[in-house]
Amino acid sequence: MSLFHDPATASTPYKDPTPLPDNVPKVAEVGTTSAPLKSASFFIGAHCKEFNEDFMLCKQENRDPAHCLKEGRRVTRCAADLINKLRENCFKEFEEHWSCLEYNNQEFYPCRKPEKALNKCVFEKLGLSKTIPGTPEGKTPVHELENPIFKRQQK
Amino acid sequence: MSTPYRQDMPPAGGFEAIKYKRNLPFRGPGGVVILAGVTAISAFGFYRMGKGNLEQRELQREKVWSRLHLVPLLVAEGDRDAYRREQAAVARESEIMKDVKDWEAGKSVYNDSRYRPSNTIVVL
Repeated sequence: MSLFHDPATASTPYKDPTPLPDNVPKVAEVGTTSAPLKSASFFIGAHCKEFNEDFMLCKQENRDPAHCLKEGRRVTRCAADLINKLRENCFKEFEEHWSCLEYNNQEFYPCRKPEKALNKCVFEKLGLSKTIPGTPEGKTPVHELENPIFKRQQK
Repeated sequence: MSTPYRQDMPPAGGFEAIKYKRNLPFRGPGGVVILAGVTAISAFGFYRMGKGNLEQRELQREKVWSRLHLVPLLVAEGDRDAYRREQAAVARESEIMKDVKDWEAGKSVYNDSRYRPSNTIVVL
């Protein structure tokens, strides 16, 4: 007979030590914190579009975690690859942008200056550009506005 | 001792003219001007607020898309972990129930192929 243990009252968090079965190929997790991920998100979207869409279509077929492990590994490898490329090519810009996000509540609008530098560097070195889907026709995308209304109050 | 007689007379050059006219100096712009100014400032403010609302909508779209681009990555990582824990649970169950004949570890209680996540994290 098993008892119900309230996880909130446990002295240590339960962590299942069993590793992944051997028949599943190992993949290194991205292991990045939220700010670098947010900073790289649009480039991940641009660089890994096919893998991401493939994975999401697979998930739509079946919600079982076992069903889409292969596609999931591809997604993770692609994202890790992109982050490595960012760090190799635009280390300074990337670092500046994500630490700016870290200091500004992870909002994009106070960090336009480092973002512009990062976008420029990534476009030159990796050929990826940031596009926000669904921007109204004929309008400047919000990340390229020259004189936005919402911006950092402190200079 | 007596003082000499002296007639009280107006000051030299006569009295100054009596001020009987209205004295209302100019005290700032008139009501119409103030009203027009307030209207102009408010109009500018509303215009800018409208612009700001449109911009905020775009900022929201940017935020949503930055999260959408990360969804596959995070779901993939979570799935691997969920799969690992599921397999471990099945292994534990088959170890516990190895003496029971015809027991299929990890079998759904429903007679269909639909995936249902486990209700328990771990049974200790």
